Amino acid sequence: MSSPSDAEVIGRSLGEPEAFGLIYDRHAATLLRFLGRRAGARVAEGLVGELFRIAFERRKAFDPSRGSALPWLYGIGSNLLMKHRRGEARRLRASARMAADEAADRRAGATALDARLLFPRVAGAIEALPDDERAALLLFAWEELSYQSVAEALDLPIGTVRSRLNRARARLRELLEPKGKRRERSQ
Amino acid sequence: MKPVDLARKLRREAACDPAALDRGKEMLMAAIRQEVEPRRRPTIIPQLPYENVGAAVSFLVRAFGFQEVPASRLEGADGVLHHALVEFGDGVIGIGTQGAHGAISPQSGGIESQYVSVAVADVVAHYQRALAAGARIAREPRGADAHAYEAFDPEGHRWRFVHRRLREVREPEERRSR
Repeated sequence: MSSPSDAEVIGRSLGEPEAFGLIYDRHAATLLRFLGRRAGARVAEGLVGELFRIAFERRKAFDPSRGSALPWLYGIGSNLLMKHRRGEARRLRASARMAADEAADRRAGATALDARLLFPRVAGAIEALPDDERAALLLFAWEELSYQSVAEALDLPIGTVRSRLNRARARLRELLEPKGKRRERSQ
Repeated sequence: MKPVDLARKLRREAACDPAALDRGKEMLMAAIRQEVEPRRRPTIIPQLPYENVGAAVSFLVRAFGFQEVPASRLEGADGVLHHALVEFGDGVIGIGTQGAHGAISPQSGGIESQYVSVAVADVVAHYQRALAAGARIAREPRGADAHAYEAFDPEGHRWRFVHRRLREVREPEERRSR
């Protein structure tokens, strides 16, 4: 017997609210990790219950043609995270230090020094992205969602997702390129 | 290296604490129960009459720990609260303007014609909260492990608070011993 799809479970939960608990059982661990990566474990714990409470209240609005509820849940989580930008920035900087250390361990001399400078800049550039671009970029790069899933999560047309990701890429590239080249481009 | 690959390198594995998951589930199930609950309203809802419904509701919430039932408020065009439901555990009571259905507040009538008994988890803690909120005590709790006390609300309705576990068993004993 195949298990019912998320869409079927959510449909059932309209008349039988307790059924929504199954959506939690299926996806809460993934979402808790997602929130933890972005805002830290302590904030994530508070947010995961809130995320599913909001999802439960809005379940009528879930588009049953989507099958999996995961992108939709990521979208609610992304919105919740906007209120926690400061914690997210702190976490990004800590990640940058760790990434730099890892890179430095593997390389030597000048390359290691480059990594020490590079990753804080990457973190700074991600942090400086507008909320909507950062949300799209991190769903794509960290959560490995497809363009289609990012579009579902953020409730945007796929073309808008593509242009947001392109803008985010361009901004990162600009911040990471050698100074001379950047000056040339801006003239 | 491409920007997205660089961003990827900042991805950290986050812990998934099972206790945190349980607490999140508890929060969700509480929200679900709230939605289911209205359909399971008790068959009987006692109604208490007051001169000032708004003041009564806020006192019952503040002093006795009742919760106002969401969306139960009935206000007049002038914004005055005419009726609301308050709940405690699985019990619900209506708080309404006196005279609307014949009944009057003890404050106007000068007499109490009934009292309400409420089962609580911790009688002494409940008593201290009521006292701090300015409730007039009708019958003090006896001792540190008291199993009941009684208090008046601002309009003179009498409320009896009884220990949850002892309610059925101990009340008859208590009467016999008096």
